[in-house]
Amino acid sequence: MADKETAKADITFFSPELVGDPESSSPYLKGYRCKNCGQLDFPKLSPCPNCWGEEFEVVKLSTHGKLYSFSDIYIGQAGMATPYIFGYIDLPENLRIFAQLEGEPGSFQCDEDVVLTIGEVRKNKDGLPINSYKFKKPTDKNHKFKVWHSVSE
Amino acid sequence: MKFQRDVYIAGVGETKFGKHDVEYDVLGRAAALQALRQSNIHRPDIVQSAYVGNGTNGIVTGQTVLKDLGMCGHMPIINVESACSAGGMAVYMAIRDVSTGFTDVSIGIGCENHTLHMQSGTAFAPAMSDIETMHGAVMTGKYAMRAKRYMYETGATIEDLAMITVKNRRHATNNPFAWFKGEISVDKVVNSRVVASPLTLQQCCGIADGAGAVVVCSAEMVKKLGIDKPIRVAGAVVQSGPFHNRPRDITGDDITESSAEQLYAESGIGPEDVNIVELHDAFTIAELLYYECLGLCPKGEGLKFLRDGNATHGGKCVVSPRGGMLSYGHPIGASGAAQIAANVKQMRNQCPGYQVEPAPRVAMSHVTGGGLSGTEHAACTMHMLVSDW
Repeated sequence: MADKETAKADITFFSPELVGDPESSSPYLKGYRCKNCGQLDFPKLSPCPNCWGEEFEVVKLSTHGKLYSFSDIYIGQAGMATPYIFGYIDLPENLRIFAQLEGEPGSFQCDEDVVLTIGEVRKNKDGLPINSYKFKKPTDKNHKFKVWHSVSE
Repeated sequence: MKFQRDVYIAGVGETKFGKHDVEYDVLGRAAALQALRQSNIHRPDIVQSAYVGNGTNGIVTGQTVLKDLGMCGHMPIINVESACSAGGMAVYMAIRDVSTGFTDVSIGIGCENHTLHMQSGTAFAPAMSDIETMHGAVMTGKYAMRAKRYMYETGATIEDLAMITVKNRRHATNNPFAWFKGEISVDKVVNSRVVASPLTLQQCCGIADGAGAVVVCSAEMVKKLGIDKPIRVAGAVVQSGPFHNRPRDITGDDITESSAEQLYAESGIGPEDVNIVELHDAFTIAELLYYECLGLCPKGEGLKFLRDGNATHGGKCVVSPRGGMLSYGHPIGASGAAQIAANVKQMRNQCPGYQVEPAPRVAMSHVTGGGLSGTEHAACTMHMLVSDW
């Protein structure tokens, strides 16, 4: 039984290659800089699509970005509760991240600032939450990573 | 592609689009037989290769379509999948076979049944191995983000976008092959339920079933078969979507722009010479952006092009004269082939009640395919057709 619990717990986080310190108060997205050509990518692409280099340096990406565009989704993927919101977030490192947004439908605007957070993106086959990176407005006071935000801002 | 010899379309077929309670192979066979009969082909052993486009219905789809016509056993049948581009890509491959001299007669078919295979009330998503899909991506939402950004940058309103649905449904009014057709008001489009903001239900193509088929052949076979209105394929392009996980302008569409540029260069025909276009109007915003991407109007003037009546009968270029995907619905493997079938019928003056006057001499089609993270689309297929008679 304990083994089964452990197995379930393992698949409730999407991928540790994407997020550093996910359980801490200051999680970050992991960028991968190719040691051969210097190209920075997120998520990790190996070999590097630019030069096929296979050695990378992990770079802590900015936790703040600009919301390029977004949509409130009312008819979603099979098995996903609606509404949910997703968007493209542009980071200062010249990377665009596709992510879900935490907040109310109708409350976001293009080009507004958003910050990284961790939260549920979908359920796994057992009905348990799969957590991953998300973004949200920097002023959301109800969020559990409030401390981290006040530090990083 | 670089043509090594001239390729002609001999005949085309399409089924009515909408909800069908018969499988994809029945639909595919119906369209194929129509195209073959129209090409004066009345025996199963004339065609020398077949390509069958299908997105989601299973394996060996082409052989399933063609075996009951007695067309298996003497030629290669190759199954083509690239999501929404599959049907167009199947026709492209048939053209390539004739162009290279590999065959003298080939057929491209696109067919799909979603009704029997898809959970209702859900939206299309790319494969679950894709990082964006894991995070909830659906195709409706990806187009909605383009709409949101376009409206933000240009001040266009949702009523502006709704005019695309109104136009295309009007075009389809008397088209027996279209599903949703006739008058619909901007209000009704805008006030239908929200699918992915700002796109409402009536701004999204229906999830439909259907098929299209195109028989292509050499100049010599045009004579042998006795085809009196052969349509010459002036250009055919398939492109794969460039990958870039960096900030980019999604009110443009890199793969459509580069495919169009290649098609114009290879065919020697510019956008100003094109009489009609069937394009990938899966969502209202797409058609608006593609006016610009295809060079039908300058960048930033898509809305003006629409408002000035340039995309409808009497305008510079009739866009979606069959009613487009917004009227037909979009069986993903079928649409690309059905667009070409519809264009050929327009050029042959075979569209009573929805015929473009005068009958178009130059017709273009454009169909993208697949939402893959880091690309606007995984694929893009375009064709340029000319009537020389």
